[in-house]
Amino acid sequence: MEKEYLTVSQINAYINRKLKLDPNLKNIYVKGELSNINIYRSGHIYFTLKDEGSQISAVMFKGMTRFLNFKPKDGMKVIVKGKIEVYEKNGKYQLYAIRITEDGIGALYEAFEKLKKKLEAEGLFEDAHKKEIPKYPKKIGVVTAETGAAIRDIITTIKKRYPYCEILVFSTLVQGNQAAPQIVRQIRHAQQYDLDTLIVGRGGGSIEDLWPFNEEIVARAIYDCKIPVISAVGHEVDYTISDFVADARAPTPTGAAMIAVPDIREITLKLDQLTEKINRNINDKLGQNRARLENISQKQIFKNPESIYEIKGMNLDNLLNKLEYASKNIILENKNKLFQLENKNILKNPNDILRLKKEVYLKNLNKLEVLNPLVTLKRGYALTKVEGKIVSSAKDVKSGDKLDVEFDDGIVNTKVI
Amino acid sequence: MENLSFEESLEKLEEIVNKLENGDVPLDDAIDEFKKAMDLVNICNTKLNNAEEAIAKIVQDNDDIVDFNMNE
Repeated sequence: MEKEYLTVSQINAYINRKLKLDPNLKNIYVKGELSNINIYRSGHIYFTLKDEGSQISAVMFKGMTRFLNFKPKDGMKVIVKGKIEVYEKNGKYQLYAIRITEDGIGALYEAFEKLKKKLEAEGLFEDAHKKEIPKYPKKIGVVTAETGAAIRDIITTIKKRYPYCEILVFSTLVQGNQAAPQIVRQIRHAQQYDLDTLIVGRGGGSIEDLWPFNEEIVARAIYDCKIPVISAVGHEVDYTISDFVADARAPTPTGAAMIAVPDIREITLKLDQLTEKINRNINDKLGQNRARLENISQKQIFKNPESIYEIKGMNLDNLLNKLEYASKNIILENKNKLFQLENKNILKNPNDILRLKKEVYLKNLNKLEVLNPLVTLKRGYALTKVEGKIVSSAKDVKSGDKLDVEFDDGIVNTKVI
Repeated sequence: MENLSFEESLEKLEEIVNKLENGDVPLDDAIDEFKKAMDLVNICNTKLNNAEEAIAKIVQDNDDIVDFNMNE
C-alpha cells in the first residue's frame, strides 16, 4: 500500500496557513535585544531579536523603516510590533516587524507629559514671561557641547548672516545623566557675562539623547535666566520641555542662529530703502515748494509791478466818474424839483393869471377887429344900401332907385341913372 | 548722535522716515530731519563697516576665555 506524502512546499504552506490563522500571532508585541542587524541594499532590515535564553529571526521591510525614529544598533533593547509567519523558502518562521520602538520610551513619554502638565500649570510656558530676543545683538552665548556639530552650525550661520557679534561658548555635556546639572550650571554661568541672547541646545538625537532638555532643573534654569533664551534642540522629536519654557524655540541649532541674529543683507537692503525713501521724500517736498514759488512768481503783479498803480489809477478814475455822475445827478434832480415847484407856483400866482387873461382878451380883440366891417370902410370901401338894406349885387338895383352910400366918415344919397 | 547703538540709529532712522512720509512736515523741519536722517544712515553704514569680525570663544569653568577652534 502506497503511503500518502506531502511535498516540502505543501507542508511549509500548511504550517504557514496555520500560523496565519492564529489570531494570537497576528498582532504581537515582542520585547528583546537587537542583534545581527543587517540592512540590505534593498532597504529591508534583517535582524535577530533575543533575550537571555532564546532568539527569533526578524525582518522589517523597507516600507516600514520610515516609521523608525532612531537608528537601530546591536544591543539596543526594543519592542517590536508585528506578526509571525513562515518564510516558506527556507521553512523558518520569523517575526515580520511593522514598528520598532526603543524599550523604556513609554516611561519617558509619560514623564515628559507629566512634567509638561506640571510646568504648564505653574505658568512657566506663558507668553507673558517670554522675553523679546534682541534684534541686533553684540554678544551671544551658546550652552552646548563644544565638540558637537551644533556649535559649528551656530557659529557658521552667525558669521554668514551677521558677522558683527561675539560668540561665547559655554561647553557642557548634552546627553547622559550628567548632562542636565551641567547645562543648568552653564546657563547660570553665562548670566555672569554681558550677553544679549543665550542659545541652549544640541543637535538631533533619540528621545533618550535629548532627555536632559526634558529635565525639570533645565526647564527651571531656562525660566529663571535673565538673558533671553533660544532653545535649539535637534528636530527628531517635535518638542522638548526646554522648547516650551524658552523665550524662543528653534527646530535646529542653525535655526536658533537665524533667530538670534538678523541677516546683514536684509539690513543693508533696508538701509538702502530708507535712504531712497528719505531722498525721494525730501525731493518731492522741495519740488512741491519750488512749484508753488514758481506759480506765485508767475503772477502778473511780479512780472509787471506798475500794474499795481495802473489798477489803483483805474480805481481812482472810476471813483471820480462815480462822484461826478453822482453830483450831476444831484444837481439835475434838484433842478427838476425846482422846475416842478415853479410850475406849480405859476398857476397859483395872481399876476400870472391876470397876464394870461389879458393875453386871451387881446387875442379875441384882434379877432373882433378883423371881423368888424367898419374897419373895411376905413380902407376906402363903402356900403351901398337901398331903403336901409345892404345891396350886394348890381342886379338888385334899377334905374331911378335911391342909394345910400355909406363911407367911413358919412353917408352920400345918390340916384341910379 | 554718534553714541547711539546700531539698533537705536536704525530705529531713529525709521522713525524719521515714517514722520516724513506720514506727517505734514513744514519744509524747514523736513530739511532738518533729512539732514539728521542722512547722518543716521552714515552712522549705520560706518558701524556696519567698522564692526569687528564675529569671533567665537570658549568660556572655561575658571572664566578663562580661549579662542574656539572650529576644526576640533
